[in-house]
Amino acid sequence: MSTIFSPLAIPASAGIGLRSPHIAEMLTRRPSAGWLEIHAENYMGDGAGVEALETLRQTYPLSAHGVGLSLGSAGGLDRDHLERLRKVCQRFEPDLVSEHLAWSVADGAYLNDLLPLRYDEEALAIVARNVDTLQDTLKRRVLIENLSAYLAFADSSMDEAEFLAALVARTGCGLLLDVNNVQVSAHNLQYDAKAFIDALPQEAIGEIHLAGHATNHVGTDTVLIDDHGSRVPPVVWALYQHAIDRLGPRPTLIEWDTDVPVLDVLLGEAMWADMLTASIMFNRKQAARRDQTTEARARPSSLSFECEATTSMPVLAAFAAARAAKPSVSLAPPSLEEIYHAAA
Amino acid sequence: MLPLEHLQTTMARAVLAMEPTIAAKTLTAGKADPLARLRIYQNNTRSSLTAVLMAVFPVTVRLVDERFFRFAASEFIRRHPPAESRLARYGAGFPRFLKAIDTLSDMPVVAETARLEWAIAEALDAPALPARTLAEYENTDLGLSPDILLQPSLRLIVSHWSILSVWTAHQHDGVLDQHSAWTRRPERVALWRAGDTVRLVLLDRANFAFRHSLKHGLGLEHATGRALALDPGFDLVSALVRLFGDGLVTDVRAATTSHSNSWRQS
Repeated sequence: MSTIFSPLAIPASAGIGLRSPHIAEMLTRRPSAGWLEIHAENYMGDGAGVEALETLRQTYPLSAHGVGLSLGSAGGLDRDHLERLRKVCQRFEPDLVSEHLAWSVADGAYLNDLLPLRYDEEALAIVARNVDTLQDTLKRRVLIENLSAYLAFADSSMDEAEFLAALVARTGCGLLLDVNNVQVSAHNLQYDAKAFIDALPQEAIGEIHLAGHATNHVGTDTVLIDDHGSRVPPVVWALYQHAIDRLGPRPTLIEWDTDVPVLDVLLGEAMWADMLTASIMFNRKQAARRDQTTEARARPSSLSFECEATTSMPVLAAFAAARAAKPSVSLAPPSLEEIYHAAA
Repeated sequence: MLPLEHLQTTMARAVLAMEPTIAAKTLTAGKADPLARLRIYQNNTRSSLTAVLMAVFPVTVRLVDERFFRFAASEFIRRHPPAESRLARYGAGFPRFLKAIDTLSDMPVVAETARLEWAIAEALDAPALPARTLAEYENTDLGLSPDILLQPSLRLIVSHWSILSVWTAHQHDGVLDQHSAWTRRPERVALWRAGDTVRLVLLDRANFAFRHSLKHGLGLEHATGRALALDPGFDLVSALVRLFGDGLVTDVRAATTSHSNSWRQS
């Protein structure tokens, strides 16, 4: 079934999640997008979407993101599902493959949600064994994604970042840093989001996810819900900026799974991620140059939100957003500490 | 401290049962009530799987009203959660579950329509092989009773109720007279995937039996015999032309074994 061509490598730029409402438009328009990510489970059958992906992957580099392997299940992996994932990878030759640090299968039931682990040595041994099995089966390195959580276990002996670092050391896996998940979990479980990112082994991070979340108020509890149903909010852009500043450019995905908007909105968000990364790298380069030449009298001249308040979204991104905007959707630019200026 | 497998089993049951059977002291959530946070997982599981079922059974939703469907789906999810993460396979048992609900006993068309919608979902997830034409076999000796292979997405459904009429009536927005749309009238439906849509057609008894036999690999001779037994006026040529015209034939081969005895015994 596989077409003869070389798999395309994913660039360190922004891509979008391929969602079924957009497939027809992707096939006809072939818009500019750095790369595509699919949910592997959606391509384990033989429907029309599978045929479309055979075509799209010849234009766009591909990432396969698993959501159902349940790497944290103490009962071990579902061998049938693992084999289906292997076949998806064999057929579509994705450049990246990723899964979650979570469990969703227990007691013979698949819960269709990603549940947190108790972070301790027992869980580490189980997840490491499952990741080893996965990587051995796929014969490739797999990226493991941090979780969005609403609760944790009292008996955990380490935090999630320590657990992920230990998992990387034990299995050689890579990491998928979901910045929105960091924000959601850090808020819900009350820890420092930036410290979480800083605690991860930088060289292992092979991909970043960006998405929106919802804010629910239940009594006195304000909880962030990881619903992937809105634009990337300013607080997540700011955290992304922190991550890129620390890591440098990484393949970055715009995820949108509920209330999926028109394609141009996703493309606009991806473009914004690219522009933000470019501005960070530009400023870093400028700063390095200044340090070299005028070290004694140099004053940092990086743009700040305060001094550049009129900077707007890139023209094409703004146009895309305007085309798709509903009356309730704000077009205000994210409030970032540093914003790339097109004239810079 | 519970072993992880035990802990996960307990938590999974708490998530599905919609009641906190897990000890609150094992959970933390900052300053928030951890059992209140557990309800987020309960709601996520129930609402996401309900959304899956609503996407697979849209006409059934309209037949029973969305609130009732959500209630039925919630009960189905609690009693029959998915056994695997391929959600395209989730819902096979839902029509049977609906049939057993007392409240729906005077509306048998609901479960029957759900059965049709599940067949549509199966067809949409099945491969579409290249269709062959009659012209391709003009100079091929296929023997007296060749095997005819059909599209793997072909589904054949017979119901005592007018399920295709009901399904068709609900394909357009607008107010429907619910009871005029469904009657006790046998309908035989063939459906198969065509690109990213499904084609559905009504068949008479003979043509239904003809395609049913071919689908089950019983060969042309057997299929023709079954059709003629049901309708002596069955027109084999028209049936074959229609079969090819519908793009349903994926291959025709000379029979490797005789099917003549098998159908006479069945």
